[in-house]
Amino acid sequence: MSGQRRGGLWVLIRSQWLLLTVVGLYVWAFRHDADRALQALQISATTLSSVLLLIAAVFGLVGVLQVWISRDLIVRLLGREGGIKGLLFAAFCGTLLIGPPYIIFPLLMSLHKQGARWAVVTVVLSAYAVKLQMIPIEVEFLGWPFSLGRSLLTVVLAIPTGLLVERLMERRSR
Amino acid sequence: MFQIGLIYLFIVTVGYLILLRIDRGRTLLSLQTAGRSLTRLIPLLVAVFGLVGLFQVFLSPAQVEQAMGASNGWLSLLVGGAVGAVSIGPPLAAYPLAGSMLEAGAWPPAVAAFVITWISVGIITLPFEASVFSVRYALLRNGIGFLMALLVGLLLGVLL
Repeated sequence: MSGQRRGGLWVLIRSQWLLLTVVGLYVWAFRHDADRALQALQISATTLSSVLLLIAAVFGLVGVLQVWISRDLIVRLLGREGGIKGLLFAAFCGTLLIGPPYIIFPLLMSLHKQGARWAVVTVVLSAYAVKLQMIPIEVEFLGWPFSLGRSLLTVVLAIPTGLLVERLMERRSR
Repeated sequence: MFQIGLIYLFIVTVGYLILLRIDRGRTLLSLQTAGRSLTRLIPLLVAVFGLVGLFQVFLSPAQVEQAMGASNGWLSLLVGGAVGAVSIGPPLAAYPLAGSMLEAGAWPPAVAAFVITWISVGIITLPFEASVFSVRYALLRNGIGFLMALLVGLLLGVLL
């Protein structure tokens, strides 16, 4: 019984560690300086409410993409193409793919086992740092020049990153 | 910000109405998926925006400048990349935090490195990545990914 309860607590800590940390910080802040803590809480609430509609809209888009272009479909298409076209396609897929690592990693490993190059797997994981469907939110917080520049540079550099990792992977196995 | 959200919501709603006529079942499934992803994210959103408030009130621009300012150059870039690499979370969470950093006077290349490593380099997920692919692959990908994030930051600094 107590073991089960401890298990539940662990799950809570592991899944909500950030929320728990922030709550802890607020407790500290209110003891330390209640006025400023209240001010922080107000800033949080205004910022969150100002982007809530945008977040809701973006998730509407995320839902559509997830259902119409499923992860499985992306992986199936990725396995087919080779050469530079395959790498470009991998970069594009990486920017659209969403999901936690515990889903993405095994998915890409199964792709590799089916014959996809290490470069393809790596390009997907590098381009993953750009999220096309989230760009409106990124722009709201970071501005157009920053968001656009960062996204383009990340996608462009994803391909050399993939080729480099592939080379280093194959060097020792030969 | 509010208006842009409204415009976006309008566009997405129109999209849904069109899709509803094309394929009712899949559209309803999309809506369900969207709702589920969003509700799952609520605790995280509360946490991240709570952090943004604390960040703005309790960290002075001078402190941010000292840790991630342009005057520190390389060190700022490393700090940005390292903070992103040890933390883990969905992309959505990185943007408000990065925005607070920029506002407080952090060097844009350091902030860009933070956003990229936050999403694609993971120290905490490294053991898992190693178990799925291989230790060698996980180390290579995260190591090179980290360096590339710094490079993107530097190039962005040149562009901006």
